[in-house]
Amino acid sequence: MSDKEEREIGRIQELESTNLAREEIRDLVIETKKKVERDNDILAERINKEFVKNNIKSFDIVGSIGAGKTALLEKICEQISSKHRTLVICGDITTRVDADRIEKHNVETVQINTGRECALNAYHINQIIKNKDLFNYDVIFVENVGNLICPSEFILGTDKRITVVSITEGEWVIEKHPMLFKMSDIAIINKIDLLERLGTDIDKMISNAKNYNPKIEVITTSAKTGENINKLIEIMGL
Amino acid sequence: MKEFIEKIENSIKEIDSIHTSNLRNIFQDALKEIKNHHKIDNYIGDFPTFIEPVYLGDSVKIGDDVLLGPNVYIGNNCELGDYVELSNTIILDNVKLGNNFTLENCLVKTDSSLNFDILKEKNCLLIGQAESKENLKKISF
Repeated sequence: MSDKEEREIGRIQELESTNLAREEIRDLVIETKKKVERDNDILAERINKEFVKNNIKSFDIVGSIGAGKTALLEKICEQISSKHRTLVICGDITTRVDADRIEKHNVETVQINTGRECALNAYHINQIIKNKDLFNYDVIFVENVGNLICPSEFILGTDKRITVVSITEGEWVIEKHPMLFKMSDIAIINKIDLLERLGTDIDKMISNAKNYNPKIEVITTSAKTGENINKLIEIMGL
Repeated sequence: MKEFIEKIENSIKEIDSIHTSNLRNIFQDALKEIKNHHKIDNYIGDFPTFIEPVYLGDSVKIGDDVLLGPNVYIGNNCELGDYVELSNTIILDNVKLGNNFTLENCLVKTDSSLNFDILKEKNCLLIGQAESKENLKKISF
């Protein structure tokens, strides 16, 4: 394969659409894409085995930019850091803002800056854990890159996936992102302290999540006031 | 960080008399030190992926689709090609790497220029002005 073709395939994979592939390389693009997804799943399974072997509870936290993932993690870490040795892996396009915020709550953090990638993948997580002694941790959180689309493509090997939305994103946000909710164990509807002002139909949001995934646990929270944070920690089994 | 890098430079000054076990220890100490010097704010390139800790010296050029980290040190005036992936690796000053390099637990000596594509190496020191893989000097440690 020529260098030019390789680059072309790389670009198409980044865009995650085989429709853009020229006829001559379409089969190759599809085959490569399948292999990449399969490799991610195999690696994620291996990561999960390592977590289980070391009795680590692990969570992949997904949600849009500004949904409150970091604020929730701050509240959670504040509560659990004295009893659970915790590592938080933060994914962002750039900056160390989230890791710096979370680190203030006595937990270890590792920042991944993905540059142009819109989600973390199992390879990123593996690169970190193979350089860590997992015996030193009880809980690992992965705060994924902020969006509700790309992370559904890549599982990371965590026990549970938690999707965070906020009522400021509108009551259609769950209905518009079925894939993530189908693949999540817990859905958090955050910023309920703003409910009176916004009048968002939370019942609709809960019912949408349950329709897509009857097994999903749905909880409403306010990272700002701390409402239901203890209940969330309980649901997470921490 | 500077003193750790100097120790490495001194230990590989004379290629024929490198003590590999000594180099391995100095190298590991330097890798551990990188976490106190994470610095990725100054590079020329197209948004690589960084897994901290990573230290980038001055005037580092980074190609397309590059993954750096964890535990990567890159000295001043280095140039990395496209699709380069480095972890637990120290690249000393004025080094040029070609496209599609995957280095893990590697050290690249100052002023080395690896002007070719595709290299996958682990646990070694790389030295040379090489236009092909065959011209590259490699010392395992």
